[in-house]
Amino acid sequence: MGEMIYVPTTLEEALQIRKETGARPLAGGSDIMVQGKRGIGLCPELPYSVMIISGLDELKGITASEDGSVTIGALATPSEIASSSIVPWHVRKAASGMGAIALRNTATIGGNIGNASPKGDLPQPLILLDAYLVLASERGERTISVDDFIIGAKKTALMDDEIIKSVVIPHSSFTYSYYRKIGMRRANAISKLSLSAAMTVQNGEITDFRASSGAAGPKVIRSRSAEDIIRGRKIDEIPSLKEDFLSAWNDAISPHAMPEYRRHTTRRMLEYFLDEISRGAEPGIIGEE
Amino acid sequence: MPATGINDRIVRVDAAAKARGEAKYACDYTFPDMLYAYMIRSSIPRGTIDSIDMPNLPEGYYFISAKDIPPEGKNELWMIAKDWRCFADGDVRFVGETIGLLVGPDRNMLKYLSEHIEIKYTEMEPAISINDAIALKGGPIVGSDNVMCQLFVEKGKPMEEVFREADSVFEETIETGFQEHVHLETNAAIATIEDGKYTIYASAQCPFYISKAVAGLLGLEQKDIVIKQTTTGGAFGGKEHFPDVLCGPLLVAEYKIRKPIKLIFDREEDMLYSVKRHPSKITLKTALDKDGNILGIDGLVYYNGGPYLSGTYVVLQRGVFHANGVYDIPNTYVKGIGIATNTFPSDAFRGFGAPQTLFAIETHMEHIAKKFGFDPAEYKSRYFLKKDSETITNGHIIERVMLPEMLEKVATASDYWRKSKEYKTGEGRGIGISFYNHGGAFTGNGEQAIIKAHARLVKTGDRVRIEVGSTEMGQGFQTTLRKIAAATLGISIEQIDYDNPDTSKVPDSGPTAASRSTMIVGRLVQRCGEEMKERWNEGDFSVEKEYEHPEGHPWNQETFRGDAYLGYGWGCAAVEVEADKLTNEIKVVGIWSCHDIGHAIDELIVHGQVNGGIVQSLGYASMEKMENRKGYFKQTSMSDYVIPTSMDFPKQEWSLVENPYEWGPFGAKGMGELVFNGADAAYIDAVERALGITVHKIPMPPEDIEEALDAE
Repeated sequence: MGEMIYVPTTLEEALQIRKETGARPLAGGSDIMVQGKRGIGLCPELPYSVMIISGLDELKGITASEDGSVTIGALATPSEIASSSIVPWHVRKAASGMGAIALRNTATIGGNIGNASPKGDLPQPLILLDAYLVLASERGERTISVDDFIIGAKKTALMDDEIIKSVVIPHSSFTYSYYRKIGMRRANAISKLSLSAAMTVQNGEITDFRASSGAAGPKVIRSRSAEDIIRGRKIDEIPSLKEDFLSAWNDAISPHAMPEYRRHTTRRMLEYFLDEISRGAEPGIIGEE
Repeated sequence: MPATGINDRIVRVDAAAKARGEAKYACDYTFPDMLYAYMIRSSIPRGTIDSIDMPNLPEGYYFISAKDIPPEGKNELWMIAKDWRCFADGDVRFVGETIGLLVGPDRNMLKYLSEHIEIKYTEMEPAISINDAIALKGGPIVGSDNVMCQLFVEKGKPMEEVFREADSVFEETIETGFQEHVHLETNAAIATIEDGKYTIYASAQCPFYISKAVAGLLGLEQKDIVIKQTTTGGAFGGKEHFPDVLCGPLLVAEYKIRKPIKLIFDREEDMLYSVKRHPSKITLKTALDKDGNILGIDGLVYYNGGPYLSGTYVVLQRGVFHANGVYDIPNTYVKGIGIATNTFPSDAFRGFGAPQTLFAIETHMEHIAKKFGFDPAEYKSRYFLKKDSETITNGHIIERVMLPEMLEKVATASDYWRKSKEYKTGEGRGIGISFYNHGGAFTGNGEQAIIKAHARLVKTGDRVRIEVGSTEMGQGFQTTLRKIAAATLGISIEQIDYDNPDTSKVPDSGPTAASRSTMIVGRLVQRCGEEMKERWNEGDFSVEKEYEHPEGHPWNQETFRGDAYLGYGWGCAAVEVEADKLTNEIKVVGIWSCHDIGHAIDELIVHGQVNGGIVQSLGYASMEKMENRKGYFKQTSMSDYVIPTSMDFPKQEWSLVENPYEWGPFGAKGMGELVFNGADAAYIDAVERALGITVHKIPMPPEDIEEALDAE
C-alpha cells in the first residue's frame, strides 16, 4: 500500500523531512514514476516515501560566478540547460538530445544524476568537465565530484539525510571539443553510446586533454591515466601516441551488451577526434555538421 | 448540399473528433456495476501446470479459467482452425498464454490478487527459433515434426532439369525478425449482456471474426453473440484475430458473472503478450547461365508460427504466392512451411506474409545483379511480369503492368541512374531500389467461396446509411466508403451515415483485412448505390448486394493453382542513404516511390498510407528489433522497442500511375498493405552499396552493421 508523500515548500523543511523520514526527493518524476507504474487505471506506487521538491526555489536557476564556473540548480530542466548561453557546450549539447520535448521540460539535472543510470545523458559531459555537486543536509553542505558521487549503475554516494542542491561546472576553455550520442533512433531515444572529448592547445603543446564515455560500463568512464598519454605532449606527437591512448581507453571501458559495437565505435570516434586535430583542424567543435 | 465527386479533396470525416479527443474508444466506456478483468498468463514458455494456488478471493471477485466453460462449450477459439485454447489447461505452450481471468470491482485488489497467485510448473525445454523447431528441440510441439502447415507451388520444368543445365548456382538464406504492431490504442474489450444477448464491445478489425471465434465456448451459435466495434485506434493486423484472445475469456466470465466486464491491456502487456509478424527464414537457390540469366529458382520458406495455427497457414500461402516478387521466373519451385515454436503465436501484420518473401527475392535478385556486374534496377527490370505472364501459381497476370513506367518515374525523380553509377561502393553514400506488389483481397476465389461478402445501403428521406461489417481502424475507410457511396448516388457525403459496425445490425462484409475493403466492399457499395440511384424516387428502401466473382478466373484451393489474385497493387521505391563511418548510423536522405493502386479514391488518405507504410517498412528494416531468446521477448516498452519518429526519415516524394481496375469501385484496387511491401529492400540495397557489405537479415541497426562489416 502507498507510502507517505511529503510536499516541502522550503529547502530547510525538505532537509528536515529528509532527515526524519528518509523520504526520497522526487522532482520531474520521469524516472521514478515509470519505476512505480502498476498498469492501466492504477496510480503508481513506490516502495518508499517521497517528497516532491519541485517547488523549492533554492534548487532552481542557472548562474555564472566570477571565477568562470557555472552553478546549475538541481531542479533545472534539460530544456533550460540546453537554452542557457552560460552552460558549457558539452552539457548543453547533451541536454538538447535527451528524450523528447515533453521529457526535456519535465526531467531535472539533479534527477538525471541521482538516478545514476549508465545511459543517463548528463553525467557523461559533467564528468568530462570535472563538475561537482553541492549536497545539502541539516548538517550543512558538502561537495563531491560527479565522478565520485556516482558509484555504479543506480548507486550513488548520497547519504540518507542529503539532497542534491546544485551542480557546479568549473571554468574550462577548450581549443577542440567533441560530443556524440548514438541513440536507437534520431529523436526520443535512450543512449546506446555517448562520447565527449576535449583538448586545449597552447603553442603546439597539449595543456589539457580529456574524454568520457557514456553507456560503456556500469558508470561513465573517464580514464585519467589514459588521458595522460596525450596530455602535456606536443600536437605533432599525436600520431605516435594515438595507438597507446586508444588501447588504454579500450581497456578502461567495459561495455556489457553489444561490446564490439561499443568498443569499435568509441575507438573510431576518439581516433577521428585526434586525427582531425593532427591534420590541423580549425579550433572549435570537431565533426559538427 | 453539393454532390461529392470521387476526386474531391475532402477532410477525413473522423479527423476532428479524434483530434479533439471526442472519439470514444473502448477504455472510455463505463457501465453501471462494471467489473474489471486482469489476465493471468503463463510465465514459462513450455511445461505442465502442476498447481494453481489462489489467495482467498474477497466477495465479488472471481478467477475464471478452463473449468468455467460449460459442458456444452469447448475450450477453443475458432480462428482458421480451432487449436488456440481460450484458457491453457494442463500445460502451457508459450509465455503469455492465458491461464485465467481475475475479475472484480477494484483494480487495486485485482493487482494485489494477481501478485499472490502461485502457479507451479514442471518446465520443459522450449523451441524458440525456426532452427530450434526444425531440430525438434525439447521434442515436437505439433505432430511429429513441428510442421503446422505446408504447401508448394511450381511453375515450368522440374528443378533437377533446370539445375542440371545451370552454369552456376547462387544460394543464400535470408532472415527477417519479429515485428510488433505498436498500434496507438492497446487491445481492449468489454463484455456485457444487452437485451438478453451476450454483447461485446471491442477494439477490433473484424467484428464477425470475434462472434465466430467465441460462440463455441458456450455452445452457442455465432448469431447469439453481438459484437459492437468501438472506435479503433490502429490495428495493422494486430486486431484481426487477436481480439478473440481477449473476448473468449471475457465471454466465459460474462456467462458466470453476468455483469459488464472490462479488459484493457496496458502497453507492456500489449508489447509482450500479443501477436507479432512472423519471423522468417527463406533459402533461395537460383540456377544461372554463364551470363547471369536466371534459369530457375528453388525456394524454401519457413515462417515461425508459435504453437497455434491462428492465421499462419493463410499468411504462409500469401508469402509463397509472392515469393517470385514482381518477376517472371521461367521455372520455380517454392515450398513453404509454417513451423511451431514456443513463442507467442505470430499472426496478421500489414502485408500478411508477403513482406518477408518480397524482401528475400528483392535482396536475392540484387545480390545476383551485383555479382554479375549489372545495375540491380536494370537487371530486375528484365524479369518484370507483364499482362498475361504466367504467375507462380500457374495463373496469369490479368491487368496491364506499369512497372517500366513506374521505374522511369522513380529513376527520374531520384536521379537513380546517375547516382547508381557515380556512388562508389563502400564510400559512405548509396542509393537502392526495389519493386514489389500485393495481391488484392482474399486469395483465389476465397471472396466467393469463403467470405460471400454482403453490403447494404438504407435510404431514409434524403439520407443514406451504409451497413457493412467493415471497420475504420485509422486507415480512412469511414471517409473512403462514404465517398464511394456519395459519388455513386450523386449526393453529398454529408448525407451519408456509416456507424461503427454492430454485428446484429449489419450484414457480414468479410474481415477488414487483405487490402480488400475498398476493392471488394467498396465495389459492393457502389453496386448498391447504382441501383439505389435508379430507384431514388421510390421513397425509403434498402438495397443489399452479394459479392460476385468475375467469370473465367479459375482457382483450385487444394492444389494452389490458378489466378491467385485478380488485381495487384504494384510499387517501386528508391531510398538514398549516407552512412556515418564512425558510428555506422544510417541517415536516409531521400525516399521516392511510385505506386499503381488502380485509381485513388481519396488522394489525401492514399498519401497518408504511402508515407506511413514506407516509414513502417523502413523501421522494420533498420531499427525495430524484437528479440526472443529463451521464450521471453526482450523488448518490453516503447523505449527499447523503437519505431521511427518524424525525425528519422526525410519528406518523401511520391507519385501514382493511373491504371483503373475493371472490378474495383471507380477503378480502385487495394493499397493499404502494398505500401509496406518494399521500402525495406530498397533501404538495405542502399546500405549495402554505401558500406560495401552484404546483408542477409533485417533489422539492421548499427550494431548489426558493425558485425556485417567485421565479416567482410
